[in-house]
Amino acid sequence: MGNEKSFWGKFKTFSIYAGPSTFAFLTVMIIPFIYGVYLTFTSWDGLSEIHKFIGFENYIAVFKDTEFWTSLGFTGWYVLATVIITNAIAFLLAYVLTTGMKGQNIYRAGFFTPNLIGGIILGFIWKFVFSNILVYIGENFNLPFFETSWLADPKKAFWTLVIVAVWQYSGYMMIIYVAGFMNVPKDILEAASIDGANGFKKMKSIILPMMIPSFTVCLFLSLQRGFMAYEVNLALTGGGPYKTTELISMHVYNKAFLSQQYGVGQAEALILFIIVATVTLIQVSITKKMEVEA
Amino acid sequence: MKRRKILSLIITVLLATSLLAGCGTKAKTDDTKAAIATDKAVKITMLNTKGEILTQLEAAAKVFTTENPNITVEIIPVAAGVSPFQKISTMYAAGNAPTLAMLDPNDIPKVADKFADLSAEKWVKDASAGTLDAGSVNGKVMSFPLAIEGYGLIYNKAVLDKAKVDPATIKTTKDLEAAFAKVQASGVAPMVLSPMDWSLGAHFLTSLYMDQSKEAGAPEKFIGELKAGKVDLSTNTVFNGLMTTFDVLKANNLDKKSPLAGVYEKAAERLGKGEAGFWFMGNWAWPDIKKFDTANGQYGFIPVPVSNNAADYGNSQIYAGSSKFIGVDIKNNDTDQQAAGKKFLEWLVYSESGQDTLVNKCSLVPAFSNIKLEIKDPLGKSINQYLTDKRAIPTIATLPGDHWAQVGASMQKYLDGKSDKKALATDIQNYWKNIK
Amino acid sequence: MKKQKLIANIIKTIVVCGLLVLYIVPFIFVVVNSFKESKDVTANPLALPANFSFDNYVEAFKVMNYSNAFMNTLIITLVSVAIIIICASMTAYIMVRKKWKITKYLFFIMVISMIIPFQAIMIPLVKIYGSIGMLNSKWALMYMYLGFGVSLAVFMYHGFIKSIPMELEEAAMIDGATRFQTFWKIVFPLMKPTTMTIVTLDVLWIWNDFLLPSLVLVSSDERTLQLSTYYFSGTYSVNYGLSMAGLMLSILPVLIIYLFLQKGIIGGVLQGSIK
Repeated sequence: MGNEKSFWGKFKTFSIYAGPSTFAFLTVMIIPFIYGVYLTFTSWDGLSEIHKFIGFENYIAVFKDTEFWTSLGFTGWYVLATVIITNAIAFLLAYVLTTGMKGQNIYRAGFFTPNLIGGIILGFIWKFVFSNILVYIGENFNLPFFETSWLADPKKAFWTLVIVAVWQYSGYMMIIYVAGFMNVPKDILEAASIDGANGFKKMKSIILPMMIPSFTVCLFLSLQRGFMAYEVNLALTGGGPYKTTELISMHVYNKAFLSQQYGVGQAEALILFIIVATVTLIQVSITKKMEVEA
Repeated sequence: MKRRKILSLIITVLLATSLLAGCGTKAKTDDTKAAIATDKAVKITMLNTKGEILTQLEAAAKVFTTENPNITVEIIPVAAGVSPFQKISTMYAAGNAPTLAMLDPNDIPKVADKFADLSAEKWVKDASAGTLDAGSVNGKVMSFPLAIEGYGLIYNKAVLDKAKVDPATIKTTKDLEAAFAKVQASGVAPMVLSPMDWSLGAHFLTSLYMDQSKEAGAPEKFIGELKAGKVDLSTNTVFNGLMTTFDVLKANNLDKKSPLAGVYEKAAERLGKGEAGFWFMGNWAWPDIKKFDTANGQYGFIPVPVSNNAADYGNSQIYAGSSKFIGVDIKNNDTDQQAAGKKFLEWLVYSESGQDTLVNKCSLVPAFSNIKLEIKDPLGKSINQYLTDKRAIPTIATLPGDHWAQVGASMQKYLDGKSDKKALATDIQNYWKNIK
Repeated sequence: MKKQKLIANIIKTIVVCGLLVLYIVPFIFVVVNSFKESKDVTANPLALPANFSFDNYVEAFKVMNYSNAFMNTLIITLVSVAIIIICASMTAYIMVRKKWKITKYLFFIMVISMIIPFQAIMIPLVKIYGSIGMLNSKWALMYMYLGFGVSLAVFMYHGFIKSIPMELEEAAMIDGATRFQTFWKIVFPLMKPTTMTIVTLDVLWIWNDFLLPSLVLVSSDERTLQLSTYYFSGTYSVNYGLSMAGLMLSILPVLIIYLFLQKGIIGGVLQGSIK
């Protein structure tokens, strides 16, 4: 295998193991991204043949766009709610479903199905639930909480978004936690039981620390999914009632393609990226430091 | 050891399958290349952004090929929720723009520099009055009007007959109120008002611009003044009249307890089943109403009155205009393809099968006066009648892309009772002042 | 002691069952409604089908050009997932075992790249690949899936490789195995749960992906299952009956694959404990 320590040895090793990934990654994600960044400094509107360099004009427009910042704040609350609730439920479900219960597989498949339904149908089903089923229940059982459609009230509409997002993603995160639980070596757990540790102690001292890689991944994914949520937003509330539930991705998309201000939309997408990247990088570096190597 | 063997076996099988798949597609491209060499076959593409006619267009493409054997037309659909503008932008960016692109009227000016000038085409002279304007730029016809769509208050004649209301007598807001009361008295909800932002923003509120005056160019002039901040809507007669009518609609709305909860399909169902007398919507809704029809196909339009003076502009006119325009691309398509595209458009207007596609299969109201086929659906018929009677106001087509979404949202707020006329007026004025 | 455990088990089962019902109900909703005519779906979504019919399925199958679309989707998904797994596992491995600076930076860039909103690179991507004529082919699409999917896979493998003791590898290499052989014969098999998880997530992602294929694949015979669902929505209204049948036809294969893969994860657990 040659000398792994020499420069060429290192290069060879790198190319074999990481070559294809790195090349594909760079050419599919990074290069278009850099090109996209370049475009935000031009006047390109997505269609014209020519564009001219306009410096930071697009970015200044972003700072002036108050709707962008309100939407961002709104999205922040949404992310907080969905990340906490989704991960809590996913973790507990994964824990319960790796204890050897009967029919575990069926449960796991079942919790996963929400992730399969998307788009228009998702919107149709949940709109029906909130506007019709709950209203029916509210009217007939005299529960004022449900009497008017949750989708017609800005505050309640927020929670409809959270509920549907949790429903969609808890199964997804659960799968990752399941893999994490399975990675906890059974022999260590057995040894701990023999030593007299009870369930709670085992959880605290063994399982949780060994599960941190799962937390890294799941927290990261739920943060990313939360900030970039678009499909559920579009299908369920469409940003309504009257634009009170417009998450940031929808705002950015509309800026580029509805208001047809492509440059500003791109600039907003980039600023969103920087903000979310900062948040998630902090999260990943904290949790990565906590990961234990076996 | 065994696992590794299985793994390598799986990988080999996958690679083999993909190689075969690759070979398969390669063979196809070679065949078409050969075909082009021998009988000058031309392949053109058409972007369809009207989802409901997709299957009909694909069938029409096949018929066109049987009549023009060396031209094949591939229809490219667009997904729900993706605007024509987004789709065409990505296609031009990718360099594979379609030969024929069906776009919304307000997209045309942005894309016109990539389209062929169609002013010399045969169908230009046969286009009904005013139908080409929205698709023209600087006086040149840059796109083909696909169909005329109109909107107003759709009525269910069976319901009206029972309530002893004659729709032709409704000429003012007061008349409308009285009619509603009669329908209510006969035991049926007067009307259903859909809360969608596109319905309120693009169809209802736009009367504000179009009813200002009879003069040509009046709507654009009015919008210019709005952009300059010179308009105070609260003193504008059309605005006030329109909003008074809206209040009447609001008060007689079947969904008035929860006005924002209404859904498009449900409204069609209500009108069809005779559970409501009127619905503010357009003629595209016929297939959805038809599913529930209990009035034996007896439906029609009345205009939305904006004042109590029957002679005022807008009270007896319906809004109609071409909702989709088709352009011929000159950037990514060669001259043969452009010619073939133009031929397809001509075929739609002049050939029997083309006209059959437009009127019978797609249930569209054509924009060309030479097409004499009878329009079979009641709503299309009604719109066409208004056009023939010269009682149609051309819908304004140069609104900014996000007008319906922004203004629609403000209208929804008003409908929900969370805003008043003054706030709505300010919202609309601010929207225009901030438009670039 | 035993009684406590029994009660705990019963409570556990009830809670999980209850939650499961809540989670599945919308899905059952779709299944039931897919057998109704579209107008009946919107008229009364809760009712059982008046005339239980497979019409929607037959029509959807035809309209979607199902067998062709299915093959396209199958090939694209399987090949893309296979290359992602192979490339990403090796990349993550080398990142963990060799503490090089360059791989550290690469890892961070990959992690951050997952945040990039697809919309921000959508048009530049299409512009670049369009200009070199790499659009409208399954191959380009699969290559792009590698580029897009490698970050998440590397991210996940990275965390789990750390749990594999170095001693195992050192033992193998002392016995004369090359690093390459050690990786594939010892390390990779131990990561089965992670691999299966990534396979599940990626199969789901690619199988159901709509946006990227709609940009890259243009001609109708290259269409994937997702793209074939175009037919069911109009400008203002949707044919729900057909849409739902179409949805079921698209996701049933994935559900079956998932149930099939579940067995693989159990196998992985047994392997792991024999360690």
